[in-house]
Amino acid sequence: MAPKPPKGHFNVLYFASAASFTSMESQPLPAPLPLRKLFDALDEKHPGMKDNILNSSLVTVNLTYVDVPEKDDDPNQVIIEEGDEVAIIPPVSSG
Amino acid sequence: MDPQATEIQDEGCYVGLTHDHLNAQDIMNRVRSPQAGAIVLFAGTTRDNFGGKPVKELQYSAYNPLALRTMMSICKDMRAKHGLKSIAMVHRLGPVPIAEESILIAVSSPHRQAAWRAGEEALEECKSRVEVWKREEFGGEEGGVWRANRDGIQGDKVPESAPSIPQDSGEGPFGPVIRPRRPGERGHGAVVHPKPGQ
Repeated sequence: MAPKPPKGHFNVLYFASAASFTSMESQPLPAPLPLRKLFDALDEKHPGMKDNILNSSLVTVNLTYVDVPEKDDDPNQVIIEEGDEVAIIPPVSSG
Repeated sequence: MDPQATEIQDEGCYVGLTHDHLNAQDIMNRVRSPQAGAIVLFAGTTRDNFGGKPVKELQYSAYNPLALRTMMSICKDMRAKHGLKSIAMVHRLGPVPIAEESILIAVSSPHRQAAWRAGEEALEECKSRVEVWKREEFGGEEGGVWRANRDGIQGDKVPESAPSIPQDSGEGPFGPVIRPRRPGERGHGAVVHPKPGQ
């Protein structure tokens, strides 16, 4: 289990190739953050993550899959709030 | 008790994740019913090679709460669609030595046909959707690789640091795509990326 994020932050959870790439299982980031900016924020912390991991991964916020919007100014886009649990979901491989 | 072991149960459906050995008799007993004329059990076991390359052991990890939720959703769909009495699905996590069970699925139904079909469909759905990841350990200095069950057929190697693979946009600058683009391909043969640091 990831530790509770500090005040004003949300947690991003990393699994499988995302955990290997970042050498982390989770990381707190400052909230609020528009979902559209998530990949850039993560790529800044972990250079190359967007191309190598994020572009082939899905994203959940509080256990629900979300679409990362195409446009920056999409008025309906999800804003990640303080205390949210965001997860990067690489292609799965159960069985 | 394993602190990470988790399970959910609801109306003829049982799903679980565990670091312990899987037990076929236990999962069959979970779906056993006087109204059932058939139980179909699937046991997925770990292979000692990937495309001929020797594999020492497998490591599974999961996003536990989401994996359980997805497993339960699959089980409910299968139970309704195939008229099952019961369905149970358990996945093992952590290291799984070669030739041991990594997943068990058991289904029971009044007649065998529905049980066969549901068992197969439940596994395919699980492999394509459940938030569990497999890492193949090759041993020695080689380390391991995360696999991906893309297209529900055979997993692809997922590089930990490698050139990016362009997303298929449907129509590229060279006209409509009539077959899936191969990694690195841009219409003029394979693009060879230099290795980082060279």
